[in-house]
Formats: sequence, C-alpha cells, structure tokens
Amino acid sequence: MDKEKNEQITFKVQRYNPENDSKPHFHEFVVPASRGTTVLDGLIYIKENLDSTLAFRTSCRMAICGSCGMLINNYPHLACHTQIEEFNSSKLTIKPLPNLPIIKDLVVDLTTFFETHKSIKPYILRHDGKEMENPSAEFAQPPQALEAFLQFTYCIKCGICISACPTSASDKLFSGPQALAQCYRYCADTRDEGEPERFPVVDTDHGVWHCHLAGACSEACPKGLDPALAIQLLKRRMVSRAVGLGKKEPPASTVPPNTETKPKVPFPDFTVKGSK
Amino acid sequence: MRNTYLWFIQLVTGALIAVLAGIHTVWMHLDAILSFFGVDAKDATKWHSMIERSREVMWAGIYIALLAVVLYHALNGLRNIILELTPSAKTERIVTWSIVAFGIIVFIWSVYVPITLLSTQEA
Repeated sequence: MDKEKNEQITFKVQRYNPENDSKPHFHEFVVPASRGTTVLDGLIYIKENLDSTLAFRTSCRMAICGSCGMLINNYPHLACHTQIEEFNSSKLTIKPLPNLPIIKDLVVDLTTFFETHKSIKPYILRHDGKEMENPSAEFAQPPQALEAFLQFTYCIKCGICISACPTSASDKLFSGPQALAQCYRYCADTRDEGEPERFPVVDTDHGVWHCHLAGACSEACPKGLDPALAIQLLKRRMVSRAVGLGKKEPPASTVPPNTETKPKVPFPDFTVKGSK
Repeated sequence: MRNTYLWFIQLVTGALIAVLAGIHTVWMHLDAILSFFGVDAKDATKWHSMIERSREVMWAGIYIALLAVVLYHALNGLRNIILELTPSAKTERIVTWSIVAFGIIVFIWSVYVPITLLSTQEA
C-alpha cells in the first residue's frame, strides 16, 4: 500500500440494533486508505462521512484503553492497533467481539466481564489493615519478585482474550482468561496475602480448572501477555497450597523511609570575581 | 478447595493409568519383549491364563486399581464436559450425583469377577 496513494477498501460491517433488528446483518462501506491507516481510522471515516448511526467504542487510539476490541476478518484485534494493509485485502469484515452480548453494532456488553474481574479482588489484600488504611512506608519488593508477575500487570481489559477463548464460547459461566490471569497476578505479588479470599472464587466448576489450555488468549492478546501461562501457574499454586507442597513466603514487610540525605553538591564558585 | 482436589486426583489417576495400563499392555500384548528379558507370560491372552492370573492377589489388585483410576479419570472428565456444555447450578448437582452413582455401580459390578475368583482360588 502506497503512503501517497489512496486505495478504496470495502468495510463489511456487522450492524445490529436490538430495538429495530431481529438479527444482525451487514452493511458495506467504501473507505479511502493509505499506508498507516488503521481499521479504527476507517470506522471513524464511516461515522463522520457515510453513516453517523454506526456504533463502536473508541478512546485513546493507541492501544492503551482497550475500548476498540472487535473481530476483524474473523480474528479479534484492537481496531486502533491494526493497520488495514496488514490484511493485504481490499475487503475487511468487521464484527463485534464474540462470546459477549451485543449492545449495538460493534459495541458489546462488558458488564459481566468487569463483574468477574472485580470478583477476584484485583487489588493488594493484606492482614495488616492498619498499614493498608494508613500506610507508614512502602512495601519492599525486589525486582526479581516483580518480574514474576510484571507482564500480567499490562492487561488493558479489552476483552479480546475472552472472545478468543474456546471455553468461554462453550461455557457462559467460565471466569475467563482475563480474570484468572489477574487472579494469578495478585496472588503472585509478594506484597499480597489475598489467596484465601481469591482461591474460593476461582476454585469452582466454571473457574480455573475449566481452562483447556488452548492458548488462544495468549495468541490474541494485543499487549503480548500470556494469560494461558498465568492460568497454569495459578493451577500449580492452588494445588501446591491444597496438598501442602511448596514454600509459602511471608508477605513483604514495609521498608522505613530513607531518612539519610545525600551529601549536597558543593555550590560552584563564582567565575566572575567580586560578584555574589 | 474441592475442585482443586478433584483436579489433583485427576492428575494422579492419569499418571497411575499410564503405569497400570502399561503393565497390562506389556503383559498381554508384548510377550516378545518379555521373552527377550527371560519372562514367560504363559499365553497371557488365553482364557485359562487370565483366570489363573486373576486368582493371584497382585494381579487382582492391579486390575481393581486400574478399574478404579480409569473410572475416576473418565467420569470426572465426562462430568467436566457435561458441566461446560450445560452451565447451570441446577444441572451441576444432578450431573455430579448421577455420575457418582454410575461410577459406584460400575465399580461394584466390575470388581465382582476378580473378588469372586480370589475367594474361590482354593476350589
């Protein structure tokens, strides 16, 4: 695709308005595109110039907010992070993310997704409530301990892993790779003591044990995370706790603030004699 | 942690199936390998040989253990598949207890033969 030259790309977009339509159908739009044009640019072009009723979510336009997840040529992508030329085709089929209920057109209902995420308590849980309420210092965590879960902190909650997951497709009650990976992320955090509260949430017939390890979530994740790995590590952690294997480290203690001040750099002498 | 234990037992039974079914397969079907090591399987697939073997406590134990681990592994897997395809709290209980009852009935029915053979070995 030439940067200077505009090509005409046909966007075949799934439309569905539950108030008027009995079932989803497709509309085709012709969009000018050049090198660097993203699928989101195309959708914005359609909304601004061709059909203002087209509904889709977008916000940051740089793969940070996780709003514009959609099915592009039958594979889940972030529309802002996907250039049209990647497909090497003059026709793109765009549908809402599967495994999630449709609100309108390309907008899906993420309520259950976020409720499941909240259910695993995605924040640091500790037994020292006073320190949590009124922190006196920061918790000590060596870089090696951070690296054990760092990649899972980059989740942007776009829902693409859920839409790629074959288990989520067949089991509507499945916790899903996003929530399970976040469960591992907090349990693996050395500052956290929340395993007794999180494990019962995922230790169900539709929780962590229903992951088939298809790995589709890891392949589809636009941020390069490996939720399938997190789920397997979570399984190992839960079995270790259940059968009493493995060493359980005490939670990270607080580090008193550094009161020593660095020696100040001496004030340079004035180069111009007599000045102050 | 109920599901964690169910999963852990699933892993353990998987490993045990590999060992016990391995013993069964080698003894029944790989007599050429056994004879290479100087072990005589005595026409292991013949009826009289099977009856004779089942009257030994070790073999009866292996068969009963293999039956138990295969039943658990298969029925727990079946339960997981059914629960995934019919996700509801109501069906969960029905499916679980139906499978537990089916497993117990099949186990009792199937161990009848080796237990009977063991108890009549003097005859």
